[in-house]
Amino acid sequence: MRNRDLLTLATRGLTANVSRSLLTMLGIIIGVGAVVLMTGIGKSMEGVILGQISALGPRTLALWPGKQGPEGGSASLRSDFDALTFADIEAIRSLDTVTSVAPMILMTGRAIYGREQMEPSTVGATPEFYSNQKIEIDVGRLHDETDERTARKVAVIGSDVAAELFWNSNPVGERIQLGEEKFTVIGVVKPIGTQFFQNVDERIIVPNSTARAVTRRTYLDMVTMQAADDVSVDLAKKDVESLLRARHGIIAPLTGDPTENDDFLMRTAQQAQDTLGAVSLGLTLFITTVAGISLVVGGIGIMNIMLVAVTERTQEIGLRKALGARRRDILAQFLAESAFLTFTGGLIGIASGLVLMVIVARVAGEFLADYRFAWSISSIVLAVSMAIGTGLLFGIYPARKAADLSPIEAMRYE
Amino acid sequence: MEKKTAPLIEIKGLHKSYFNDELETPVLFDINLKIEKGEFVAIRGPSGSGKSTLMHILGFLDHHTSGSYLFEGQPVSRMDEDSLAKIRAQRVSFVFQAFNLLPRTSVLQNVQLPLLYHPTIAPSERRERAEKAIAAVGLTDRMYNLSNQLSGGQKQRVAIARALITEPDVIFADEPTGNLDSVSGAHVMEALEKLHTDGHTVILVTHDQRTADHARRTIEIYDGRIKSDTPNVKRPPL
Repeated sequence: MRNRDLLTLATRGLTANVSRSLLTMLGIIIGVGAVVLMTGIGKSMEGVILGQISALGPRTLALWPGKQGPEGGSASLRSDFDALTFADIEAIRSLDTVTSVAPMILMTGRAIYGREQMEPSTVGATPEFYSNQKIEIDVGRLHDETDERTARKVAVIGSDVAAELFWNSNPVGERIQLGEEKFTVIGVVKPIGTQFFQNVDERIIVPNSTARAVTRRTYLDMVTMQAADDVSVDLAKKDVESLLRARHGIIAPLTGDPTENDDFLMRTAQQAQDTLGAVSLGLTLFITTVAGISLVVGGIGIMNIMLVAVTERTQEIGLRKALGARRRDILAQFLAESAFLTFTGGLIGIASGLVLMVIVARVAGEFLADYRFAWSISSIVLAVSMAIGTGLLFGIYPARKAADLSPIEAMRYE
Repeated sequence: MEKKTAPLIEIKGLHKSYFNDELETPVLFDINLKIEKGEFVAIRGPSGSGKSTLMHILGFLDHHTSGSYLFEGQPVSRMDEDSLAKIRAQRVSFVFQAFNLLPRTSVLQNVQLPLLYHPTIAPSERRERAEKAIAAVGLTDRMYNLSNQLSGGQKQRVAIARALITEPDVIFADEPTGNLDSVSGAHVMEALEKLHTDGHTVILVTHDQRTADHARRTIEIYDGRIKSDTPNVKRPPL
């Protein structure tokens, strides 16, 4: 039998009973659709994460106070929350391996202007913070060393803060209530979107020295810095770590994890990217496995319907054999039918998966600024070959059953 | 040279039993038979006599239990499944009592069905051959009708056209008029007569004496044995 004949036979078998074919394909459609959708979302999330990391820059280092959890995470950050002092910052600034050291104090409290009020995230940071986070001014100015030195009560606000408190009017020069104190707005920064799943456009930035004076704090919540141009990020990290260990009287264990006794946590942008990437990959794998199981279930559905088809068409099989069909012709016909069934199901699955991905991208784009429609060709190829694979695998049994019939017994079958 | 002189079909001491859970049911006993190329033979007998089983064995649809079957001098028992399929595709064809057309399929496609499995006839020739075969049985105006839209007589003529399309050496007809009224039956027998005069070997299986009379030779089977093998003298005029 020729290949073209095989294709004709397979399509005829499929279109002979359209509603049954569609129901049979449903399992495959859902399976392939789910695989395509989930890997697509995974890929989009990867883009979101990469976008957030790249906002920080690859040479950025972050430092938090607190002991590490037993698994190296930051589960028990609460102990030693006051480990990083202003003296530590001065010491780090004196290192040659890091530049642009930006200490941060997080403040809580409502922001009020006239009758408008909101709950912003307020951070007291030095001007280095702007370059570390790649923040650019839109209206007015960013705060500078003079504001820092004199601890002026000035505020640089995010675009969403400006929109919520001031509507369309120019906020520069206006005074807002932040906690107990009044601050003068000196600038509005360009919209950024989401960073590490946080809307940074709802942020208010005040000078670090002002935050320190207002909160009477003796410790810092976070520090960002850049590795110096002539050293590697890892070297800069090690340098800061050993400095802090020396200052805090910490002895790193000789074997095992050197950070085990630390009362601080340091991360490079690369590490953050790896962690987030691993989490996202794990999730994608998990969901894809679940989707893969539905492909197998769909394959069993195909096998069922092909068994019914063999029984229904026993007489036809006998006739074809009487007319000269070989065992392999019958085998090929039924395998082609199940492969064609799954292939068509796979195509419909891809189409519906892609449609869902567009919808997800629309919805997710509302609150994740970096979410972009993304699809992975490899996962689509994988899903379709898995679908055809299940079609062939689960089609073999019914096809063999059909092919092994003797012509005269098959023709006599009632 | 030897091949040419060998008869088309030669059977010696052929025996056939069906086995059901090791219970042996003998159907044919010690059949000896020679059929030459171009003959028109009727195998006649009452139902249950084993005539259909004999035809299935002759037509490569069933295996015999013992004895020998030589097709053009070649022992059939030594042929593998693929060789048998090849013979079924190229050398023989069948007309069945129940017509055995594919349902919901056009006359044209039903007639072309054997060509799917024919190793040498090119796909480009299919259409032309089918139209010729359909014209030969007088159904050109029904070419695009579905098989289930035809009368019994028309269905059997489609089956004859399907049997013709590969230009086989032997055409087997198993009770071809069994499901037909007398007028349709006469048309079908006419078509088979014509196949014979065109040079095909026709082997007809029937229980009916009048149908058997169309053939040039009648082999009578009774209880699985050949009772008589005689040339037809009282053949009705064409």
